[in-house]
Amino acid sequence: MRRFWIDTDTASDDAVAILMALRWPGVRVEGISVISGNVPVEMAGKNARYTVELCEAETPVYLGMPAPLLRKPSYAYFFHGPDGMGGMNYPEPERPFAAGHAVDALTRAIRELSGELELVTLGPLTNLAAAFRLAPDLPKKIRQCTIMGGAAATLGNITPAAEFNIWVDPEAASIVFHSGMPILMVGWENCRGEANLDEADRDLVRSFGTKYADFTLDCNATATQTNQEWLGDPGLALPDPVTMAVALDPEVCTRRSSHFVDVETQSELTRGMTVVDELGVLKQPPNAEVCWSIDPARWKEALYKVLR
Amino acid sequence: MATKILIDTDPGVDDTMAILLALRSPELEVVGLTSIFGNTSVEVTAQNALRLVELEGHDSLPVAKGASRPLARPLRQPGTHVHGEDGMGGTHPPPPHGKLLPMPAAQFIVEMVRFHPGEITLVPLGPLTNIALAVLLEPGIVSLVKEVVLMGGSAYARGNATPAAEANICNDPHAASIVFRAGWPLTMVGLDVTTQTVMTPEYLDDLGKAGNPATELIHKITPHYQAYFDQFYGMKGSIHTHDPSAVACVIDPSIFGTESMPVYVETEGRCAGETVPDRRRQWLDEPPVKVCLGVDSTRLLALIKERLTS
Repeated sequence: MRRFWIDTDTASDDAVAILMALRWPGVRVEGISVISGNVPVEMAGKNARYTVELCEAETPVYLGMPAPLLRKPSYAYFFHGPDGMGGMNYPEPERPFAAGHAVDALTRAIRELSGELELVTLGPLTNLAAAFRLAPDLPKKIRQCTIMGGAAATLGNITPAAEFNIWVDPEAASIVFHSGMPILMVGWENCRGEANLDEADRDLVRSFGTKYADFTLDCNATATQTNQEWLGDPGLALPDPVTMAVALDPEVCTRRSSHFVDVETQSELTRGMTVVDELGVLKQPPNAEVCWSIDPARWKEALYKVLR
Repeated sequence: MATKILIDTDPGVDDTMAILLALRSPELEVVGLTSIFGNTSVEVTAQNALRLVELEGHDSLPVAKGASRPLARPLRQPGTHVHGEDGMGGTHPPPPHGKLLPMPAAQFIVEMVRFHPGEITLVPLGPLTNIALAVLLEPGIVSLVKEVVLMGGSAYARGNATPAAEANICNDPHAASIVFRAGWPLTMVGLDVTTQTVMTPEYLDDLGKAGNPATELIHKITPHYQAYFDQFYGMKGSIHTHDPSAVACVIDPSIFGTESMPVYVETEGRCAGETVPDRRRQWLDEPPVKVCLGVDSTRLLALIKERLTS
């Protein structure tokens, strides 16, 4: 049994990623910590709790940091809709938040499952950064951390240089990337184009006729539209589920290599840029593995498997 | 009723004087100590905090270990050239008996503030990382803290760690920025006043003559500190009165003259850690804080002597 922990700013694509982990055989999700990002942290928490209930799971959802370490919050309602869930206005979940601060709960889980816990982060890295500053013993106790974030090829979305999750809290990202824990960075460039669900893919998903399939398409309706209008990228982009697919099935990532990766925190133009020293010119020891490409068919198969 | 204070500290020679002053003052009820890197590593300052509460017979007073490095900037050189590797002037006192709390300082701060809403005065004597982390974790504590009285910064006296910055702020300017901007009642006891009050060798000798455990410890650990002040400022055995000033400001605020104004903390570049007073309110985005600009040094020194030697 693999032990997972998901850190998420739950909006529409996060919700699908959570659903994948909760329904994946052989994986137990120990907890979900929510973070300010796509939407305010309480809203992210509501969306996460709704998703857990949809999956008939009892995974505890913990409320995390309400804002980035040093910056003002920046939300992505424009991409995910006013509720973060495509305007579906899902009902309030029945189960409340689990007691305690997410940073504390994450810290306890990492220590109790020392060497076992695999983290998957789907939002800004504020919870992890705070935990590492409070408890410096944590990074070496984490088995693996798969990060949806960054743009190894400098193909940004929120700016030309930066991907949203890293851009929102670059200081936190810098702390996390330099923490020494084993990191696999799934940059945003892996999660567009061929990785998107095109119309035929979405028709196929709808044909499954399950609540999971409907949920995936419904809550991502705004995202599908915005992706086309904003980025000129047709189809439904699902960065968090792609990342979760890589974490669940490592073969989804078809090329990976280890590098020194640094995060820009000073510049306005390139705030949150993930600078990957691909050629090793800085002569710094590698601190992260970078996923350079994925197998779109295999990722989609992973998704379909849990939606059917 | 005594004022409940929680001291966040990196002892440290002057921290030691300040903590002993607090523990020996009936106006104050120390509810806990939290340690922080700064004068030396956080491992050492945590042990020193335990030593100090034991010295004064407060063995049950909780001590929590705090952050080992700043929020976002790299760790600067520790102040061991000023305070000794052991933070105790190189005297290497025996290990304490007590144990640290099983929770990080920031979490302890949050819990104490919530447990005593409206009652706790935070007295930070080191870099502000723990206090900033507490605010980041639970922004709600800002309205539950009675006030913050901190040793740090410099409005018009320039810096000591760098030409621009006082050491505590310089060690974590981002944390300081969070604490100065939080919007709670805050008093900055900075170099403007702490360098005006000078403890002479005669004053320190008088303290030593009292012969109680507190003054004996101070007598032992101070020579290293005096040597630094002589080497750096040519003070011939005299020292500035940094951390005890902040504690004294809680005991008797009338010793200090303050002015309310916004203070901007520079977080980047060569002047990182500079605390810029905006006396004419030309920058409108910072909440005002109380800045200590005047001090009755005679009364301050008398208060410290009375408490430590009694």
